[in-house]
Amino acid sequence: METAVVADRIQFAFTVMFHYLFPIATIGLAPFIAWFAWRAARGNDEVARRASLFWTKIFAINFAVGVVTGIPMEFAFGTNWAPFSAKAGAVIGQPLAMEGVYAFFLESVFLGIMLYGRHRVSPRLYAWSATLVGAGSWLSGFFIVATDAWMQHPVGYRVASDGSIRLANIGALLLSPFAWWQYAHVVVGALVAGAFIVAGVGAYYLLAKREIEDGRYYVRLGAVVALVASVLIIFPTGDRNSADVTKYQPVKLAAMEGLFHSTNGAPLAIIGMPDTQRRELIDPVVVPNVLSFLAYGNFTANVKGLTEYADTLWPPVALTYYAYHVMVGLGTIFVAIAALAVLLLWRRKLTDFRPMLWVLMLAMPFPYIANEAGWVVSEVGRQPWVIYGIMRTADAASTNVAAGETVFTLIGFAGMYFLLGLLFMLLVLREIALGPNVEAHATREAEV
Amino acid sequence: MNAAAFVLLAAMIAMYVVLDGYDLGVAAVSPLVARNGEQRAAAMASIGPFWNGNEVWLIAAGGVLFALFPRAYASAFSGFYLPFTVVLWLLMFRGIALELRNHFTSELWRSFWDTAFTGASALLAVLFGVALGNLVRGLPLDAHGYFLGRFAFLLNPYALAVGLFALLALAQHGLAFLVLRTDGELADRSKRLLARLWWGVLLLYFATTLASLALRSAAAIDAPLRLAPLAVLSLLALGGVHWFTRVGKPGPAFAASGLFLASLVLAAAATMYPYLLPAFPAGSGGITIANAGPGPGGLGLTVALTLPGLAAVVIYSIFVIRRMRGAPRPTGD
Repeated sequence: METAVVADRIQFAFTVMFHYLFPIATIGLAPFIAWFAWRAARGNDEVARRASLFWTKIFAINFAVGVVTGIPMEFAFGTNWAPFSAKAGAVIGQPLAMEGVYAFFLESVFLGIMLYGRHRVSPRLYAWSATLVGAGSWLSGFFIVATDAWMQHPVGYRVASDGSIRLANIGALLLSPFAWWQYAHVVVGALVAGAFIVAGVGAYYLLAKREIEDGRYYVRLGAVVALVASVLIIFPTGDRNSADVTKYQPVKLAAMEGLFHSTNGAPLAIIGMPDTQRRELIDPVVVPNVLSFLAYGNFTANVKGLTEYADTLWPPVALTYYAYHVMVGLGTIFVAIAALAVLLLWRRKLTDFRPMLWVLMLAMPFPYIANEAGWVVSEVGRQPWVIYGIMRTADAASTNVAAGETVFTLIGFAGMYFLLGLLFMLLVLREIALGPNVEAHATREAEV
Repeated sequence: MNAAAFVLLAAMIAMYVVLDGYDLGVAAVSPLVARNGEQRAAAMASIGPFWNGNEVWLIAAGGVLFALFPRAYASAFSGFYLPFTVVLWLLMFRGIALELRNHFTSELWRSFWDTAFTGASALLAVLFGVALGNLVRGLPLDAHGYFLGRFAFLLNPYALAVGLFALLALAQHGLAFLVLRTDGELADRSKRLLARLWWGVLLLYFATTLASLALRSAAAIDAPLRLAPLAVLSLLALGGVHWFTRVGKPGPAFAASGLFLASLVLAAAATMYPYLLPAFPAGSGGITIANAGPGPGGLGLTVALTLPGLAAVVIYSIFVIRRMRGAPRPTGD
């Protein structure tokens, strides 16, 4: 593959994977903040009132970094992927335009009230604003996933005489079951992250023997939501995504599972290293027949292996395989952790049992890893296609942009994002260290 | 329908310039009018709740351009690759600066981010002007409609003059906003600077208008009906800024400044019509609304899906602005 295309792909993957960290947190935390704000508006729940302000500060930092790192994504289609945009813009531009018009405005305008309006509006309007900001972030995620889902599984389009792709049916694109299951999986994945963040911060306070009342509230609420969300991530959403991949992207399925040869009653590989030279899974630990069951609901069904397809149609096998196994392995661990926590909660021991609090606190980064791994499975696994079965990634990169220019801007993004990441960590850790009982320090309101 | 799509796009960009224009302007002029930390904080706080929503007009206009005219979107963004990346970086820098300044009370921390905010905003105002100037002047397109936006070509005297004009016009808009939304010494100083800056805006207005007419004389001859009302409107609005500032009516002065910016963006669009990316030199073709889009059916759908959403945005934005007006309530929490 040409250097320019490789540089474009690295730049897109790097910028979007960095960006994704922040929507994971905003989508995952938004329902918690709306819940806190409504509890605060309804009565004298002092802990919920503090929680709504504290988590809004964390949300705001995530939102700000999410916005600034999201702007380059929309424009990257035009700058780095001009032939793709010219060919398919009439289709993918539509959900992206709707994201701006219907979701991003909602988030941004009402965030103004959340950040600057606490002393200017009633608690009810504040709670409504939190709800609308949350709705905006979920809706924004939908339009982005719908765009990606169309590239994974194109529906509702026609090819015009000049070779460009036109939108024939916007309803088919927005209501595509493929998109809805993918979206459900993505938002539930973000919710797992949000729940582990809330529980993890609470666990930190309890371990540090401070903010006890707040810490208990966060740990309890976080543990319950974590259990519900991490079950939903496997069933039905994960299961339905696998079924869609089996049906529409069988090569991706084979790469995810490291299955080189078509097999009746295919085994599920738990551990193993795919070797594309020898075309086998090295040193595997497998559960017999389970892959056939997961893919087709039948223990003896035939699952197609990679060798059924020309290797020019293979995605990068190792990356897809490992990312998938990291995602699934972590997802299973999340269910176990959350189930144990809820069991302890039921026995009224959760907030005093320090080993569990340690686990919850240290678990915080792992939902991020699982979500990012999911992105890799989805987007690396559908290579070599940018639009599945229609346009190859190799033909999609701008030809009037030199590889050197892309490398230059990639280095620029890398440097900027490194500093941005440091600043983000500094600010978030500082908010957590200050805690929910510090009233608006250095506030915006004080100056308005 | 192609014409309606073009008008929608021009209106969204005009909306962006009018709305984000005032917060870019406030950022650019704040070191000139805000003399101490308290006044700087007041200037920043006046735009704090709104700038993010304002910037979404640019994002939304980008999305709508993508859906309506994918060929123009692909050509413009790849052709302007490096300049565009610089614009993105400035937008990012500006976005984090305003968020980060509030996290520490340290004077050093704040003056750093305020300076970053001012510098990035002022440079953005110039670059937007340079971009608009080059769009009116035309771009060296190849047979497929692609081009290479070399800095040497883009930084021509005409485009630079438009860039300077954009900086002054947005600074005027930001000053009018400060007069309206702040008080005390900050508002007084803004008013005095506005009265002086106005002469510079007037001078550059005539200079760039004449240069544009010279460049695009064909448009002026073909489309006097499109351009003449906008020219009259922009002159009246610019006069209005001066008059209402003198008689001490900051609301109408700010509205007139917004109208002035909108009429300029629409006049530039009317000069370009029906081209989205005119070729350089003028009269040698380019990417038009007829050959950049997905055809009338697709355009109609995008316009129909965009308009109700924008109507809702305008309504709830007005609601939020009204609710955020006035001093904070002295509540117990």
